[in-house]
Amino acid sequence: MMKRLIIVSLCMFLSFTMFVPQQAAAADPVKIGVIVPLTGIVAQGGLEMKMGIEMAAEEKGTLLGRPIELIVEDTQVKPPIAVTKAEKLVYKDGAVALIGVFSSGVGLALAKNIDKLNVPFLSTHVMTTAFYGLNPMVFRSGQLANDQTAVGNVKGIMARPDLKDRTYYVIVHDYAWGHDAGQRFIELAKKNGIKIYNEDFDKAPIKTKDWSSYISKIKASGVDGVYMAFITNVIPVFAKQAYDFGLQQAGVKMVSAAAPGPLELEAGGEACYGIFGASDWSWDVNTPESDKWEMAFWKKYKTIPSDAAAHSYVGAMNLFKGIEKAGSTDPKAIADALRGISYDGPYGTVRISAKDNCMRNSAVLTETMAAPDNPFGAKVVMKVLQTFPAEELGPPE
Amino acid sequence: MGGVSTAIDITLNSLVLGGVFLIVAIGLNIIYGLSRVMNLAHGSLYALGAYSGYTLVSTGLNFFVALLLAPLLVGVAGLLIERTVIAPMRSRSIVYTLILTYGLMFFIDGLIKYTWGNEPRFIDLPAFMRETLPILGTHYPVFRLMTLLITAVVMAGLMLFLSRTKTGMTLRASSTIPEMVSCLGVNMKYVHIGAFVLGSVLAGIAGIIAGPLTTIDPIMGHEMLISSFVVIVIGGLGSLRGAVIAALLIGAVQTLAEFFITDLAMVIVYMLMAIILAIKPRGILGEGKFE
Amino acid sequence: MMIDRTSIPADTKYLTPASIAAIAVVAVALVMLPFVWDNRFYISLINEMLIFGLLAMSLDVLLGYTGLLSFMHNAYLGIGAYVVGLFLIHISPTSIWFAALVGIAATSLIALPVGWVQVRTGGLAFALLTLAFGMMFHTVVWKWYSLTGGDDGLMGVPTPEVHLFGWSLGTTGDPKVMYLTTVVVVGLCYLLTRRIIHSPFGSVLEAIRENEDRAAFVGINVRRYKLYGWMLACMLASIAGALFILYKGYIGPTTMSAFSGAGVLMMVLLGGMGTLWGPLIGAVIFIYISDYISTMTEHWEIYLGLVVILLVLFLPTGFVGIGDHLKRFLKRKG
Repeated sequence: MMKRLIIVSLCMFLSFTMFVPQQAAAADPVKIGVIVPLTGIVAQGGLEMKMGIEMAAEEKGTLLGRPIELIVEDTQVKPPIAVTKAEKLVYKDGAVALIGVFSSGVGLALAKNIDKLNVPFLSTHVMTTAFYGLNPMVFRSGQLANDQTAVGNVKGIMARPDLKDRTYYVIVHDYAWGHDAGQRFIELAKKNGIKIYNEDFDKAPIKTKDWSSYISKIKASGVDGVYMAFITNVIPVFAKQAYDFGLQQAGVKMVSAAAPGPLELEAGGEACYGIFGASDWSWDVNTPESDKWEMAFWKKYKTIPSDAAAHSYVGAMNLFKGIEKAGSTDPKAIADALRGISYDGPYGTVRISAKDNCMRNSAVLTETMAAPDNPFGAKVVMKVLQTFPAEELGPPE
Repeated sequence: MGGVSTAIDITLNSLVLGGVFLIVAIGLNIIYGLSRVMNLAHGSLYALGAYSGYTLVSTGLNFFVALLLAPLLVGVAGLLIERTVIAPMRSRSIVYTLILTYGLMFFIDGLIKYTWGNEPRFIDLPAFMRETLPILGTHYPVFRLMTLLITAVVMAGLMLFLSRTKTGMTLRASSTIPEMVSCLGVNMKYVHIGAFVLGSVLAGIAGIIAGPLTTIDPIMGHEMLISSFVVIVIGGLGSLRGAVIAALLIGAVQTLAEFFITDLAMVIVYMLMAIILAIKPRGILGEGKFE
Repeated sequence: MMIDRTSIPADTKYLTPASIAAIAVVAVALVMLPFVWDNRFYISLINEMLIFGLLAMSLDVLLGYTGLLSFMHNAYLGIGAYVVGLFLIHISPTSIWFAALVGIAATSLIALPVGWVQVRTGGLAFALLTLAFGMMFHTVVWKWYSLTGGDDGLMGVPTPEVHLFGWSLGTTGDPKVMYLTTVVVVGLCYLLTRRIIHSPFGSVLEAIRENEDRAAFVGINVRRYKLYGWMLACMLASIAGALFILYKGYIGPTTMSAFSGAGVLMMVLLGGMGTLWGPLIGAVIFIYISDYISTMTEHWEIYLGLVVILLVLFLPTGFVGIGDHLKRFLKRKG
């Protein structure tokens, strides 16, 4: 069986030639691994995160006198794939830090492996409260955490007469983040005397496309408020279908645990008016820094600037600052430098707490409505109703 | 709100859901019944129908014109696919066609994402379809009722075509005794092409009506593929009547389960499938009854 | 019939000196690899290839030798992995070999009634039943939040020490240790399965694959042997599951989804079914291609799809058949 021997050796030869490690370039860049979902249900959010991070890298230009090289990998929002990609980024490409990650499940799976990987990992889009003080190498600077949005939303509801005396139907996506968000809101709402219709809230599969059963259920319950914790891209989908059934027209108000993406809001149009929610930022924020940033973003990508892009930009800037402050790419040094670091960006000072590695920043309560004239041609705006200072959102340090 | 209006809501919801399942599943079944090809890219053709409909409507075309054109475009895509990659597989085992169409699914999904991007899309409907209609105390969206009507028309048309026209009868005959039909001088090649194109057109119709019903995104076909698989397996592979029964059954079970026990809805659907198959391994109406 | 005879290359019953040499060379090279070239990414990648190779090989026992198609063989990898993980978390955090045995036993217990129902049918109905049960397991795992962690997966699996033939190699948290463990376990599984397949039992399975009715006429209890084949395949899959959880420290429902299941099927066909070692090669090719393409472009789906379509169209007997193709090609030329 000479033939098989030849085949086997051929295969071995091929595999070794394929696996030859790549030579390092002459002007040794600082490599940063960007882990975002580019396929699957949250692909749009991942794309916006990638844009924000790329924009930050371009503005920063160099780190420690070396060029920045971003290496982007697609997680497909699947934890095992994200871990494999992280291993590839660290062991094969030599990334000195990991940034990005959408979805708490993926974030937790990566955090679980971070001691093995031995690089700092800064998440810009993981909202689970499990991230507080999880691991000395794991950081958050980006999307508000579940406890922070719950505080913001409850404060918002209490402050607004049109939201206050309503009974809320709670419905979430069926995974760690959704459960956590639902529980946090209900706990806090009950303390503040906000009426909850279903304390044992609905958990809908992430793959749900036809929401009619849930909407009929909400209709049948006779509530006048809905609190939803859905993946950003799904918020307008749900709102649109509820609108088809006449839910909003019948006076039901919606409060969302996560900020909807502007592109999705545009697609939903009128059906997406009247969604309340606490988030880091919206292009309606009218500070000079914010206006400057959103115009720069618009010029670069011709895409309506979103919260996901803004907080990923800030997260990346915090990471870059940490690397500069550390003065080297040593993982421990970067991690130490990141604790307590802060960056002044489009939505004020964003500081990574030295106590629990997670960021503190001010936030806004927004309501979606018809947009005034704007440079982006957007038809829906997340109108800023109220600003929460960082200390109000907590958690205490 | 009273119990009656909720009951009407649930009934209509389950019929709408079952109706979409039915059109997708019956397309899959026609292809399988006539040419023994199990097309895993069927869900992607469904998505392609939805996106074509979206593009046609957003260029200013009337929704009903798009409803006719989009499925035809998907049919053309089906024709291309059949000629280029499915036909050469005809003599090979079904396992290979499965893998090939699995690759095709990735390919079409990728192309859709490349062309239309990631963000969800919604099809703009004519004003009257965006209203709700009061029925016995509940307000039900007009276009969801239209969906029911369209499903009924499509199914009636399909049944008439298969039972009353010569082509339809030839198709039915060739699913049971292909040798005989080919002896009668019918080129089986055209039967296979016809089946694949007809199946694709049906996927396209389901896509464009599901567009406004749910939402259009690049992976909308994945769940639909699995649901329609469940439908044709429960109904009996290649059995058209079985598919009708199974689609309505699954639509109803899924809607009821979502309404009453929410969290375990999909477990119930798959359990039902496993139980039915454990009792009747070839589905409710048995395999291959193409009628 | 599910399988055409032409797609299964002839396989010899006994190991020829050449193939023994080939196996030895591959084994030595794999064992030596981490000592000469310590790149953790490739060590992990090869580890993953071997684990999925074992899974693909177990599916080959079913598909290539018994003639039964399973859409969701990955479900049994998943069950094995969950059981081993839960055992390590809740019962005993140190005994990995015992945990693996528990994993195999539990998977068999679940696979037995499922197999019993499935073998009562045949052909495509069998295949579709595997899909139904697979989807059910997938959904149960995903919904049983308190036990499995739902969509977030099973986390906090301890990293016990690995003892092999009396030595302590280190903990499962060390990629090199897990890699060596995987090489040894997969190697043993290959040799053992090969032995079983070439025993009279294996011949019975092949007889069933070739012609079920004829096998029944000569007095073979077709259903019982199909069930044996099914159980063997599920046990092997659960071993792959044990390796998976020890190596990743994590298992989630996506690993048990229908789309991953189709991926495993693809590995078998890419490698060439009915050969046992073909699917191992198929796993290497499939994982390498998907990893490589998805790194290259965010539109990786288009390219992966194209590669799959072209491979199925132009390399029908899989990688194993390349030799025959070449021979035919050269003959035509000469």
